[in-house]
Amino acid sequence: MAQANLLSIVVFLPLIGAIAAAFFPAAEPKQHKALALVVTLATFGASLGLWFGFDASPGAPEFQAVVHVPWIPALGVSYHVGLDGVALLLVMLTTALTPIVVLSAWNAVQERVKEFMIAILVLETAMIGSFAALDLILFYVFWEGVLIPMYLLIGIWGSENRLYATVKFFIYTFVASVLMLVAIIYVGAKAGGTFDYVQVRQALEVSASAQRWLFLAFAVAFAVKVPMFPLHTWLPDAHTEAPTAGSVILAGVLLKMGTFGFFRYALPLFPEAALHYRPAVAALAVIGIVYGALMCLVQKDMKRLVAYSSVSHMGFVMLGLMALTAEGLTGGVYQMLNHGVSTGALFLMVGMLYERRHTRLIAEYGGVARQVPWIATAFVIVTLSSIGLPGTNGFVGEFLILSGTWLARLASAPWFSAVGATGVILGAVYMLLLVERVFFGALSNEKNRTLLDLSLREWVVITPLVALIAVMGFFPQPFLDPARPAVDRLLGRFAAVEHRLEERDPGRPPTTGTQPPALAGRE
Amino acid sequence: MTGLSPTDLAAMLPIAILVAGALVLLMSEVFLTSGRRGFMAGITVAAAALAGLAALLAPPAGRVFGGQAVVDGFSVFVTVTVCGGLALSALVGAQWLHARDAERGEFYALALFAAAGMSLLGSAADLLMTFIAIEVMSLATYALAAYMRRGRKPAEAAFKYFVLGAFSSALLLYGTALVYGVTGSTLFSDFARGSGALLVIGLGLVGAGLAFKIAAVPFHLWTPDVYEGAPTPVTAFMAAGVKTAGFAVLVRVLMAVWGGAVMGSARFGAVAAALAVLTMLFGNLLAVPQRSVKRMLAYSSIAHAGYLLVGVVSAGAAGARESALSSVLFYLAAYTATVIGAFAVVGAVERTDVRAEPADAWDLSRLAGLARRRPGLAFVMAVFMLSLAGIPPTAGFVGKFLIFKAAINAQAYGLAIIGVLTSALGAYYYLRVVVYMYMRAPEAGEEGALALGPALSVALAASAVAVVVLGIGPGPIADLARAASMLTQ
Repeated sequence: MAQANLLSIVVFLPLIGAIAAAFFPAAEPKQHKALALVVTLATFGASLGLWFGFDASPGAPEFQAVVHVPWIPALGVSYHVGLDGVALLLVMLTTALTPIVVLSAWNAVQERVKEFMIAILVLETAMIGSFAALDLILFYVFWEGVLIPMYLLIGIWGSENRLYATVKFFIYTFVASVLMLVAIIYVGAKAGGTFDYVQVRQALEVSASAQRWLFLAFAVAFAVKVPMFPLHTWLPDAHTEAPTAGSVILAGVLLKMGTFGFFRYALPLFPEAALHYRPAVAALAVIGIVYGALMCLVQKDMKRLVAYSSVSHMGFVMLGLMALTAEGLTGGVYQMLNHGVSTGALFLMVGMLYERRHTRLIAEYGGVARQVPWIATAFVIVTLSSIGLPGTNGFVGEFLILSGTWLARLASAPWFSAVGATGVILGAVYMLLLVERVFFGALSNEKNRTLLDLSLREWVVITPLVALIAVMGFFPQPFLDPARPAVDRLLGRFAAVEHRLEERDPGRPPTTGTQPPALAGRE
Repeated sequence: MTGLSPTDLAAMLPIAILVAGALVLLMSEVFLTSGRRGFMAGITVAAAALAGLAALLAPPAGRVFGGQAVVDGFSVFVTVTVCGGLALSALVGAQWLHARDAERGEFYALALFAAAGMSLLGSAADLLMTFIAIEVMSLATYALAAYMRRGRKPAEAAFKYFVLGAFSSALLLYGTALVYGVTGSTLFSDFARGSGALLVIGLGLVGAGLAFKIAAVPFHLWTPDVYEGAPTPVTAFMAAGVKTAGFAVLVRVLMAVWGGAVMGSARFGAVAAALAVLTMLFGNLLAVPQRSVKRMLAYSSIAHAGYLLVGVVSAGAAGARESALSSVLFYLAAYTATVIGAFAVVGAVERTDVRAEPADAWDLSRLAGLARRRPGLAFVMAVFMLSLAGIPPTAGFVGKFLIFKAAINAQAYGLAIIGVLTSALGAYYYLRVVVYMYMRAPEAGEEGALALGPALSVALAASAVAVVVLGIGPGPIADLARAASMLTQ
């Protein structure tokens, strides 16, 4: 029970902080910064209690720290929250990144600090809430709740073209989400008038064609958020125009809401439709990997480059999920965390350079490693993580995904795996080119001769992320363990569906789970 | 039907209170010697509150006046919603009129008369009663629309409203005559007695007359001009009250048609569904290019009529009737709180000297940088816009959720999908208001602070609180709406 209350505290503490901030005077920006930092750190501290209290053994209940109280009983809507291992990891990612984001905005945000901090805090509640929700309507409320503060973050504190970017971001995600709302209402009606996730998952009985439509409605909403090719076009604009803090949260957490949505909702609720559409989704994921990487090669703007690299990396996550093997799913989950850490760190450092030079154009830099050796060092480490060098977290994730895909019982899975692997190579190319063009070579631009290296505050911002990269690279097990029961349950669910499909259609070859790894068996 | 029984009179108590309040205000204007009129809004609010309480506390009387009116949970819900809208509008009006030196007892008296007509419409179970109630409501609102008739736009608005309103009343009356000719009765419950094309035509004319009142496409053409030209508090009251009353009577008529198995009743459903689609589509599409916030809200009110129609259409499926009717009632309550709040903000930022620049008195640029000049005002406006767009956690979201849930229960999947897609379109122009308030600098010369009087502040706070409370804890009101969805025919 204490655990349960703790989860509600973690969800709503930032919101309470935001409400409190409303009563502080706007003319005192320092108070708002301090308040936001204290609240987000306290939230992180509280979430550590969830982390240590989580039981990852196979016999443990699926959802832990559960609170289940009626909210609108007449409509079958309840306040039902709880965490499985995957949600736990993403909640931890959120609570860990947010104080870093607050700290990173310390000097970058000069105007309307009060509103900025309130937006960040409201955003944190909405993000944690959407990972913790176990009721479809509650989930939808948090899911939409993310949009407004993010919309304000880009629209008020963004750069020149912010209005276009923020409206595009909002309309894209909103249109896709409202279709999901229709699907949610339909699901609730078919599951006997309840929107409770656990009950719906058990009770939902719909025809095969209805299931396909429902899967599509959910999948499109999530695919926009991921973003998957070809629904990604809002992302480069949003990232480029967003303030650093917005980019970090967007890349670090918001994109995971899409992949988490696949893992939690689209796959387990509509398994047969998921099997039906799996090759298409996997193909789009691979296209996204390669396309994102190719787009990176031609970018002139650092932020845009990192944004397109997100398209590529999130493609890996989707590929891992679609493999429906233990390795693929685990790798997908792990890569969600990695991407949050390493892309978040990349955006932070691009933001640091931007604060110093007020430009994000790669051509404006060159050879700055001489001036700012520590920034360069941190950037190189993060780059190595981003391209998946062994010893960094990125390697663990990408290796699991690619091997999991190779072994998947999915038509032409080795091709997916092989083409996806070219994304790793291209990733090394564009990231190392970026490092080379920004940090190494001759210090040609005079304006770069006066750059200052990391300040104490920036050390505090970047060190935890760099440390996390190393820890997650060398000791992945503590981060893989919590995800395991959730991954096994999902696979078990699909195995049951396979069984049912085979009864209906004898002789149907299984399509989930792992192939025997021997190549000889493949012929 | 000989004489009036005490039950009949008791059932009409809320309406009597509203009318009494109006008379008191009219008489006070005769005897008043000083120029102080601050108390008038207070009397109006008190009358509205008393009437609402009387409606809530009185035992449901069922059929009264020989079956011509019905007092049931539905009518009580409508009366309370109308009274709430009246009280909020009166508070908004107090400051607006005071700033223009136009505060008179007639204004509040007319509003009270209009509310009496609206409440009566919620109870009407007879076409003649409907006609009388509509006329009581409409004559008062025509006069209200013309209350500040100086200037080209107000005069045009008032005249247009009167002419088209009279036209729609004529349609209604003609339809009534045809129905009476076929069935020998004007009671809704007697529709089933008749059959044949004449009855269908008569009911169609009645429906067209009502469609004017609720501003459904293609009967909406008066709405933008009238909403823009009428004094802002009046617009708020019309958008909330006339819509609520119009939908109340439309629901009763259609329920009688569907319940009584009138020939071609399925086709009425199809026509209403088509109207719903057109209304949602055009209301939203036409709102997109508007620069005037007031005009944008006018088109948005058309769009909202479309969503409400989705709820009404869903009530045609027997299995979804309860959820559909309760969703319509909830939506009306949510819309009342939201739209009056939104118009209150529009009224607060609008130029006092309308004659100077009539064209851009309500231009979006009036809202530019509002978040810096008046953070509180900008925040509540943002809340109202999010609610109109149907974004959680606001009343508007719960309203849309209930409506679309009803549509899905009724297996009207197409209506639900068109509904959510058009509401995404709506998000675009509602958010533009937020963009102007939060993301643009104030126009030169507009940096000065706006004065907010206590009455307006109370109205804004009350509607904002209502919008948020209905969004986060909709349970009690949703239960009330559910209980009120059992119609006594």
